[in-house]
This record gives sequence, C-alpha cells and structure tokens, in this order.
Amino acid sequence: MNYPVWEPFILGGGLVIGIIATLHVFISHFAVGGGLFLALTERKAYRDHNSALLEYVKFHSKFFVLVTLVLGAVSGVGVWWGISLVNPEATATLIHVFVWGWAIEWVFFIVEIAAAFIYYYGWDRLDAKTHLRVGWIYFGAAWASLLVINGILTFMLTPGRWLQTQTFASAFFNPGMLPSLVVRTAVCITLAGVYALITSCAVRDVSLRVAVVPYAAKWLLLGALVIPFAGIWYISTLPPMAREISMGGAPAVTMLAGFSIFFSALVMVFTYFGALQRPRQFNLAFALLIAVLALFTTAVTEWVREGVRKPYVIYGYMYSNGLRLADVERVRGEGVLKSARWVRHHNLDPQDLQSAGQEIYRVQCASCHTVDGYNSIRLAVKGWSWAMIDYQLDHLSSLKGFMPAFVGTDAERQALGAWLASLNPPPASISIEPEAAALDIRSRDAIGKGAPQP
Amino acid sequence: MNPVIPGPVPVPLPAPPGLLEFLLVLTFTLHLLAMDFLLGGVIILTVSGYLGRRDSRHVELTRRVSRALPPVTAFAITLGVAPLLFLQLVYGQLFYTSSVLMAWYWLAVVFLVLLGYYGVYWYHLQHDVLGPKGPGVILVAAVLFSLVAFIFTQNSAAMLHPQDFYSRFMNGQVGKIFGPVPLLNLARLAHFVVAAVALAGLGIALLSSRWRTDSPELADWARRYGVTWFMGATLVQFLVGLWFLFSLPAEVRQALVGEKLAMGLLIFGILAALLALLTAPMSLGAASVAVLGTVCAMAVLRHLVRLAYLRPYFDPHSLPVQGQWVVFSIFVALLLAGLATVGWMLYAFYRPAANRSRVSV
Repeated sequence: MNYPVWEPFILGGGLVIGIIATLHVFISHFAVGGGLFLALTERKAYRDHNSALLEYVKFHSKFFVLVTLVLGAVSGVGVWWGISLVNPEATATLIHVFVWGWAIEWVFFIVEIAAAFIYYYGWDRLDAKTHLRVGWIYFGAAWASLLVINGILTFMLTPGRWLQTQTFASAFFNPGMLPSLVVRTAVCITLAGVYALITSCAVRDVSLRVAVVPYAAKWLLLGALVIPFAGIWYISTLPPMAREISMGGAPAVTMLAGFSIFFSALVMVFTYFGALQRPRQFNLAFALLIAVLALFTTAVTEWVREGVRKPYVIYGYMYSNGLRLADVERVRGEGVLKSARWVRHHNLDPQDLQSAGQEIYRVQCASCHTVDGYNSIRLAVKGWSWAMIDYQLDHLSSLKGFMPAFVGTDAERQALGAWLASLNPPPASISIEPEAAALDIRSRDAIGKGAPQP
Repeated sequence: MNPVIPGPVPVPLPAPPGLLEFLLVLTFTLHLLAMDFLLGGVIILTVSGYLGRRDSRHVELTRRVSRALPPVTAFAITLGVAPLLFLQLVYGQLFYTSSVLMAWYWLAVVFLVLLGYYGVYWYHLQHDVLGPKGPGVILVAAVLFSLVAFIFTQNSAAMLHPQDFYSRFMNGQVGKIFGPVPLLNLARLAHFVVAAVALAGLGIALLSSRWRTDSPELADWARRYGVTWFMGATLVQFLVGLWFLFSLPAEVRQALVGEKLAMGLLIFGILAALLALLTAPMSLGAASVAVLGTVCAMAVLRHLVRLAYLRPYFDPHSLPVQGQWVVFSIFVALLLAGLATVGWMLYAFYRPAANRSRVSV
C-alpha cells in the first residue's frame, strides 16, 4: 500500500524470493558447516600424520571458496535485493528493528571472508598451527553470522514480546531463536557432509577415498539425526495457527511438510547404504543425487517455514501484503484506493469497476498471487460466480486462515470481485444471467445493492 | 503537486540520523576503494590483455594482478553491504520506491555481479590455459561490472527525484521503468568509471612493489604502467568532473556553491588530486595519501549533493529516534575486535618468509 507493487509475471514475488533464498540457504549453511569440516579435518590430518588427507582438505578448500564466497555471498545479497523489491515495507521494518544486528553480522562477514581467503591462499605460506587457527577463526565468524541472521529470521515468525516492548533484545531473543539455531547448526553439519561427499569422489587414491567417503557420510548422518529432535523443539515454539497450517490447515503446506520428511529420509537412507556401507562403489553421480535430494529438502522446508507464517510477514504485526494490523481499521474506513499511494485511480468509478478491482488486487493480493503463474488467482477463482467470490472475500480470514482478511470498503470488495469474476468468462452456452446481471452494474447505487450478498 | 513518497516506518531510527549518515559515508568510501580497484582493474587488464598480447610483460602483469581480483571482488561486494544498509535505513522511502520502479534491472545486478565474479575467478585460475582467449573473458567481466555500475548510477540518481516518482509510475509498468535523466546519469557514470581506472592504475603501481624481490624489471615497468594509467585517467577526470558538475540541476549546483563546506571539499578534492598527479611519479605513498584525501572529500561531497537534491522533499532529521545504544556499543566493540583479527591474519600472511614454515604433516 505504501510502495509500488512489482509483479514479476508468472513467477510472482514469493517465488522470486523463494528461488534465490533456497539456493542461498543451501550454500550458506554449507559455508558454516564446511568451515567446521575444514578445521576438524585439517586437525585430523595433522594428528594422524596423514598427508593424503591434508591434500584432500586443500582440494576441498578450493571447492569451498568457489562455492561459498561467490555463489553464497552473492545469493545472500540476492535475497536482500528480492525482499526489498517484493516487500519493501517489511524489509524497511526489519532494518529499523535490526540495523545494528545486521551491522554486527557485516563485521562477521568481513572476518569470515578475510579468513577464507587467507586460509585458501595460505596453504603454502602459513605454518600448520597458524593455518588451522585461521580455519577456526573462519568457522567462528561464519557461525556467529548464522547466530545473528537466525535471530532476525525467527523474529518474523515468533516476534514474541517485541510486539509489546519494541526493543532490540526482545526482538532478537524471540521464542523461536534458540531452537532454530540448533536446527540450523545441525543443517550446517549435514550439508558439510553433503558437499564433502561430492569432493571425496574426486580423490584418486582409492584407499583415501574409501576412508573419506564414510567420514563425510558420518558428518551428514550426525547432523541429520539431530534435526528431527531440534525440529520438534522449534515447532513447539510456533504460534498455534502456524502449527495447524503445517498439520492439515493448508493442504499444500502440509503436503510439502511431508515431502520435507520424505526427502530427508531418502538422503539418510542413500547416505547410510550408499556412502557409509559401500564406499568403494560410491561415485560422483550418487553424491550428486544425494546433493539434489538435500536441495529439494531445503527448498520444501524453507517453503513450509514461509508458508506457516501466513497470513503474516511479521507475525501478529504485518500481513504478507505489507499492511500493518494497526492500520487495518483506518484502511477499512478510508478504503484501499484512498489509502494506497501507488494506484492510478484513487476513487472508485462505478463505470469501470474492473480497473479499480485490478488495482485493488495489485495492492492487496499480488504479493502472494500472480494472475496466470505461480499461485494463480485465475485458477483459484475458476468456476466461481461473482456472488461466490464476494462471499469468499468477505470471509477470507475465517475461510482461509492463511490469508489476510480483505481490507477495504464494501464497494471496493465488490469491485475486486467483479475483476476476479471477469478472469474466467463463462462459456457462451451456459446461462449466466445472475452473474451477467451483477457484472453489468453501471450505477453507484448498484454497487451497494446489486452485488451478490452472502 | 506534492511528490508521492511512501510514509516512514512507524519504528524509530535506532540512532540519530547524523551518526547513521556518517556511517553511510564512511562505509561507502571503503566500498568505493575496493569497487574502484575491481572495475578499473578489469578495464585495465582488458586493455593490457589485447594490446600487450605478444608482450611478455603484459602477460605477466595480467597474471599477477588477476590473483588480487577475487578477494577484491569479495570485499567490493561485502563493503557495499554496509552503506546500502544505512542508506535503506535513512532513505528507504526513496530508495525502495526507485528500486521497485526499476525492479527487473535492479534485480539483474545480482546476476551480473555473480557472472562477473565467476569471470574474474576463471580468468585468475585459468590464466595460462586461456592464453589468447583470456582477454575475452576479462572483457566480459569488464562489461558486466560496467553494467552494474550503470544500473547503480541510474538508481542512485532516480532516488533523488521523488517529484518524478508518480509520473514515472503512471507512464510505465512497475519494474521496467528506467532512470529519469539520461544525460546526468551518463556524466555520473563516466565520473565513477574514470575514477575507478585512475585508482586501479595507482593500485597496480602499488601492487608492483611486491614483485620487486623476484622480478625487479617487471616491477619497475608495472609501476610506470600503473602510474601512467593513474595520471591519464586523472587528467581526463578533470574534464569529466566539470561535465558532471555542470550537468547537475542549476538549483543543486547553486546550493553547493553557496555552501562553504561543499566548496571547501570540492577545492580540497581537486587540489589533492593535483598533488597526487605531481607526486605519483616520485612517491607512490604521497600520491596514495593525496588520492585518499580526494576520495574522502568526494564521498562527503556526494552526500551533500544528495542532501541538496532532496532538501525540498525529504529531511531525515525529521524522523523519530530512539537510540539502541547497548547493541550499538556491541557493534563497535565487535568491529574493533574484527579488525584486529583481520589485522593479525594479514600480519601472519604477509610476515617475512623466514618467520614462517609451510603447512605440512
């Protein structure tokens, strides 16, 4: 309402963020867990006087730098870019609440990047002790950056006492922060194993490969075993409605939650029987299959995490379309078109209900829906009469708890309904008199009286 | 008609705007140094790659400089995060609007940077394998980073024209609406790119001093080569700077001319650049200090230009403030600790070879 609305055609804003964020999560958690993997494996190589293992760690560090410092860092910036374009109001709020948190995270980034380069370029320059110390510095900074961003992310779903106090401390130390940190740390360890399985396949020395493959598999399995327990703890902190949404309240979210468990199980089974039990037969194709399954797990889990937050972007504070709960009554009184700054018509023209309806759609619905692509609104209302649409809009939050209520005047709701109804013109052979009569309203009186009433 | 500007977030600023603007300018200056070396560096390497294809000195120079580019790219990106954070905090109402209006182009920055970054890595890691194809790779990176610079200057200029927001919104499709004043933006872009080339030239000259131990002849030549780029670009900059100055709207220029601080910074910046020109052939250290002076002065001046543009429409000092001083203190403490840690790692990395032994089992 406060900012212009960008509609990235078939993708929709949510999917733009989702694609970039999934990629980022998949790499950034590796950036943390992989740091621990490098430090501990390098230490193991020194303790075991295993120069072949040390060579593997060197090779892995190159892969690590190329993946995390480039794709990880740039996709992180990409997530920020995405959220500021799709939901500037929420981004602005987060930055106002957490700017010093982000500034602290930025300090950790600086240390992390410097350490990563010195670690990578330092194999031929640093003594073992110093090199290892740089590895630990890297991991410490990377995990600390996770600590910060985790607090900000969980705030969006469980803002807790911040809703009353509005202080940084209550926002950061929110109810979901600690369990989520444990979950994410376990994910980091799991992904360290996933990526190590990939690089272990490049080891030419068979005896070393047979040792490294199960070693990497143990990392993966160790992390994956912790995730369900920490996950239950995390779920216990969620608002009741968020839990309901994931457990049947919204079929799509529930289904994807099931997929998350299914893909996780596949990753573990393949890793146990493939990498741990048969390291000699384990190859790159197998490792990539596990990585793809892990990416799917990441994608659906992140989707569920976003999904259960509906209808909010900041729980109990701001709806996913950027409207603050505190502004609902005002907008309801003034009307959407008068409150929104970026509309072409600030007054409802009874002669042109559909244009107004489309503008109202942009302001209230387009942050989650597209017309014909992802979460298509045309498909959502297919086969619905205007009367049906109007009834749904009037009872949106009670019929679909994961959607914000329609906020606006009755006339605006009917205009939105008129536009939505026009998206699927009924076939000519079917009698459409009631709807056609309703859609044919041409006078202001008719807006109030003629539109279908529940 | 009053400009349409989104309302402020109903959460107070976590520090006075003056402090946030100071941090914005400070971190932007740091970003500028890394970004200049990167953008100017890829441009110089492209020219070197093509012109000096058969000259072993150019080949060696591109190989050695390419080694520095990946870390420089990483720091150009990371150092850019902080100023963008403070910009969004203080000027978000303007910045988000201008960004959303040009959303597709703005989002493209992420992918252009990603491709350019991998290009830089490819060039560095495969320098000898690529051979005659190498200049092509770095040329692509140069084009990609120049496009990023172009989009950034477009958005930075667009956010300064809130009076045009609504008409642009009405006349275009949100996401595809590109910058408002092409000529101004071209001057702005040229000003940044030429500065980048000058700074990268100086950077290469400084870098070459590290080659003195193993290739003294190359080091001497590279120093002269870098200084030539620096001096040439700085001379061009005097013209481009004038172009930029006179492409600013008259009221903005007059506001700057009437402000003692702005005029003082402009004169200081120019004098420091002249000093750098005079001293560069003799002392790189003196020239570097002078250039740093110019960069700092111009970064502050840039901020004053922004304020002059926005004065009729937007005053950040009118926003409510509620300082988060405890967490700010933690930030400062961690920043100092972080810088000390980085300093220690750099010391360990660069200390004389006699004082370190290599990694082994």
